[in-house]
Order: sequence, then C-alpha cells, then structure tokens
Amino acid sequence: MTGISNSLLLGPIIVPLMGAALCLLLSQHNRTQRVVALIAGVIACLCSIGVLLANVQGDENTVQIYAVGGYAVPFGVVLVGDMMASLFAVMGTSVVAFGLLYCLDCRDHSLTYPVFMPAFLSAGAGLSGSFYTGDIFTFFVFLELMVMSSVVMVAVSDNRLGLEAAIKYIFISGIGSVLLLLGIAAIYATFGTLTLAHIAQELASGERPLLALPAAVMFMSAFLIKSAVVPFHFWQPDFHTTAPTPVSGLLSSVVVKVGIYGIIRTNTLLFTQEAPFIQNILIVLGVIGIFFGGLSALRTWNVKRMLAYSTLGQVGFILVAIGWGTPIALLAAIIYIVNHAYIKAGMLMLTGALASRIPGHSADLNRLEGAGRGLTLFSILFLIGGLALAGVPPFNGFISKLALIRGGVDTESWLIVGFVIAGGVLTLIYMTRTWQWIFQRPPRLDTNENDEDHQLGPDSLLAPALLLVLCVALGIFAAPLIEVAETTVTQLRQPAVYTCAVLPANLLSATPANTCPPPPLSLAIAP
Amino acid sequence: MTILFAVTTGLMFGLGVFQMLRRDLVKAAMGFYIVFTAVNLFMLSAGVFDGEVPAYTDQASKGQPSDPVVQSLILTAVVIGFGTYALLLSMINAAANRFNSVDSHEVDQLKG
Repeated sequence: MTGISNSLLLGPIIVPLMGAALCLLLSQHNRTQRVVALIAGVIACLCSIGVLLANVQGDENTVQIYAVGGYAVPFGVVLVGDMMASLFAVMGTSVVAFGLLYCLDCRDHSLTYPVFMPAFLSAGAGLSGSFYTGDIFTFFVFLELMVMSSVVMVAVSDNRLGLEAAIKYIFISGIGSVLLLLGIAAIYATFGTLTLAHIAQELASGERPLLALPAAVMFMSAFLIKSAVVPFHFWQPDFHTTAPTPVSGLLSSVVVKVGIYGIIRTNTLLFTQEAPFIQNILIVLGVIGIFFGGLSALRTWNVKRMLAYSTLGQVGFILVAIGWGTPIALLAAIIYIVNHAYIKAGMLMLTGALASRIPGHSADLNRLEGAGRGLTLFSILFLIGGLALAGVPPFNGFISKLALIRGGVDTESWLIVGFVIAGGVLTLIYMTRTWQWIFQRPPRLDTNENDEDHQLGPDSLLAPALLLVLCVALGIFAAPLIEVAETTVTQLRQPAVYTCAVLPANLLSATPANTCPPPPLSLAIAP
Repeated sequence: MTILFAVTTGLMFGLGVFQMLRRDLVKAAMGFYIVFTAVNLFMLSAGVFDGEVPAYTDQASKGQPSDPVVQSLILTAVVIGFGTYALLLSMINAAANRFNSVDSHEVDQLKG
C-alpha cells in the first residue's frame, strides 16, 4: 500500500451531504437554504482542489487513498484519488458550485420546493463520490444517489412535461443500474472481491473465468446508458431540456461524464486485454453520435434541446478519442471532457438566464427570436460559448479539438479525422445560426408584459459569465490543464500504479507485468 | 439448489421485462421492481461459497458460515430498489393527476 493517506478525500463527499441535511432542517427558509447550499458547494470544491494540488505536487506515481472507517483495503471501502479521479472531481464539484451560485438568484418556482436544494447537494455528493470511490459497489450506490436526486429535481421542474421526462429517465436508468448490478454480482462471483484494484490485479493475470467477460459487457452497456451514447440516448434530450436551468447545466455537463469515467476505467484499469475490441465499438458509436447529435441539433427549435443534442455529439467526440486509445488521443479525451463540461454548463445557464427574460420562460427559438437585441453582454457571452463549443481559437474548445485531431493524425485514421472535422463544422453552423436568430433579428412584437412569471425579474448572469470567462482563460492559459492531463495519461497507461497504491503488499502478485513503481519520495521522508 | 436459483431468477427476469413493456405505467413500475428483485436473487446466488450456518454467530463450528458480503450487498440494493420504486410510483401518481392518464402512450407529449 504505497498510496498517501489523505482524509481530504472525504470532503467533497461528506460536506455536500452535511449541507443537504442542514438544508432539510431549514426547509422553511428558502433563502437561507440557498446560501447554506452555496457555502457547502464551495467548501466541497475547495477540498477537491486541495486533493488535486496534492497530486500535482507529488511525482507522477502519487496516488492518494483514504480507507473509510479504517478497515484494511480489500475488506473495507477505499477512496482513491489518482490523477484522473482528482481532476474529474474538481470538474464536478466546480460545476456544482457554479450551479448553486446560479440557484442563489434563480426565480424558478421549482427552486422554492423544500427538497430542491438538498437534492442538488446530494447529486453533487454522488458525483464526487462516484469519481473517488475505489470500490465498485460503492460506485453503484453513489451513481444511484446522483440519479435519484436529479430525477427529483427534474420531476418538480417548472416545465410541466418535466414529470414525463423524469419517468422516462428513471426507467431507462433503472435498466442501466440493473445491468451494472448484474456485472458487479458476476465479478463478485468470479473473484470474490469488490475493490477495483483487486479486480484489476486478478484480471491482469490474463485468466478469464466464465463470468468475467459477461461482466465487461454489462459494465459497458450500463456506462453507455448512463452517458447517453447514441443507441441508448433517447431519454437524454427530454430529460436535459425539461430540467430547471441550474440542473440541466449540471446534467448535461458533468453527470454524463460519470459514464465516460466508467468507460475509461473499464478500458484502462480492468479489462485492458479486451480494450482494443471495445475501442473499435466506441469509435463506431462515437462517429454515429457526432453526426446524430449534430444533425438533430440543427433541426430542433428549442435552444436548450439543441444544447442537449449537442452533448450527444460532444460525447461522440470523446468516445472517438477513447477509442483511438493512443497516449495523445487519451490526452485529448481528458482535456475534451473537462473543457466541454465548463462550456456546456455555461451555455445552458446562459440560455436559462436569457429565457428568464422573456414571458413564459421558454427557450423556444420562435419565442426567443430577437429577444437578445440590445443585450450586448449576453450576445458576447453567447458568441464566446458557441465558438468555444465549435472549437474556434482562442477558446478552450480549440485546445480540445486540436488535441483530438492530433490524436487522429497520430493513429493515421484519416477518415475519422475527416468525420471529426465535419462534426466541428456542424457545431459551428448550429451555434452561429442560433446566435444570429436570437441577437441579430428584429424583436417580436407580441410580447405580453403582464405575464405573471415575468414580474419576478430575470435570473442573475453571474454564474454563466464566470463559467464562460473560465472557458476563455482555459483557452489562453491551457498549459496547466495539459500538464495535469499528461500525468493522468501516464498513470492510466500503467494500471500497476493504481493497483500498487491501493493494495497491501501481501495481495500483490509478483508477475513482471505487475511490478510496482518505486514508492513516491514524500513517503520516504515521512516518519 | 443452484438449478432452483437459476430457474427462479430467469423466470423473474422474464416476467419483469414483460411487465415493464406494458403500456400501463403502474404495471411497468411493478415490472421494474420484479427485475430489481431478480438481480438481488442473482446476487444471492453469486456468493463465493455455499453457507450452511449463519455468519457471525456461535454456530461457526457446526459448518461453513454463509457469505456475509452478498447479504450486505443485497441489503443495500434492496433499499436502493425500494427507494427508486417509491419515487417512481409517486411520480406516476403525480403524472396521473397532471395528464389524467397512466397510459404511456398518452403521457408522451415531449417532441422535437
């Protein structure tokens, strides 16, 4: 067990849960509830940044672990903060914190529902928990926590069809959970362990008992359902469109990434020998996703729905990068995942803030036509977000597209590089078309100023503006993110780093493929 | 015993999936719960060793204790499945009030 013990890993999970409990007690005081939730979200974000900084300061074999309850590793639940988990948790908790900042000044009726803020916080806890956990069953529990919290928030949405979308999602996601549970049971029946590192250790020996490969298939299906990849996507546009604005920002940017996190872990840690076969499937699904998402976004007339379809396309880009599987392509996938999270959250919150300025709070393009004329700040922010999503320099989307195309050139798969570029052009078309429609057209005249909702006043622009400024900053100062992503890829390519950090010495087999790296320097100095 | 577990799990899966595909949302919700129970049964049968006496009791000398891990997993999964089922039923109740129907063809107005 060479991992450095760090109790800060508990922070991003336990602080939102405590905040949720406090918010439930304050259910009569909606305003206080929102402030408490924001404070809890920010503390969780700071904890996850602390974990990431500790990883960055160590050498490339630094993995932080925390054995929950003090139980020894294969028997208890362990939290593992390797580079990928830490980076993803920072992404998740920061988007949650921005979402809570948006909630502070959001006028939607659904936010006054007493369990809305607790549900938001528990979704955040589930999110960081599923990234940090080193135990596959705990992963399932955190995933379900996240799914149920988001279902509650969408079911109480201002949009009356939110209930329908929530019912659809809970059925589809339930099937995904059933598959994941079946996979977990198959793994447990085969290896008698639930710790990811221990399973990886057993699988690395190359033996494939009867139930090991079915487990891989079930894990992959479950993760593809959870991340809304094209043949399993049909719940996603409904669910993300009808969600209240801060929730749709959370769902479309980071919740789909949990499934992708699972796919990367399955490919690089658990089933490394089957990875080439899985990756071929991922490339095909990714290319279909790029075009399906892009073309559907072109023909839809609701800005939120367009952004939800766009997420399908962007997840396709990420899957293609994971499918190539070379170090450069994996680097592109990691950068793409982080950058897309901030762009998409910012764009959805911006659209929500814009929709709150017109009667009926609708994101329908027919009603938004010309609604943005004269709103210069909105116009600039929308253009920044749109261009960043399409991958135009100097925004962060350009960095991720560039890395992706470099990964494709590296593997010499020219046809797919062509598809990727065409997908980028599609993104550019639908984003600029929408920008033009909202901000360049003459305004519609039939606006009804006496609408009841409209009297409540518009939502604050602060959270989307900060997110989109972050996008510009990540485009201009891209080096730190790229360095972190490089270390992530180095760790992903050596599953032994993860295994050795988590497992105690007596469980590590001494096969040459499994040789542990030397213990990190900081451990040698410690008493 | 293995055969019994296999046949029961298979039957419950079949029944659950059939129910889930029905148009009535309440029946579909029941199917959902049956599938979850089938998975729990599968997990019970997935214990790494066959038990003869309960785990963590003073009867350990009388035979092989049962596998406590699968039991705790099932306990957690039962709670999660039950919670999901309760949430689903409450949403179907709200949908019945809002759309005046529990027919999945009529609770289907999202387009685009």
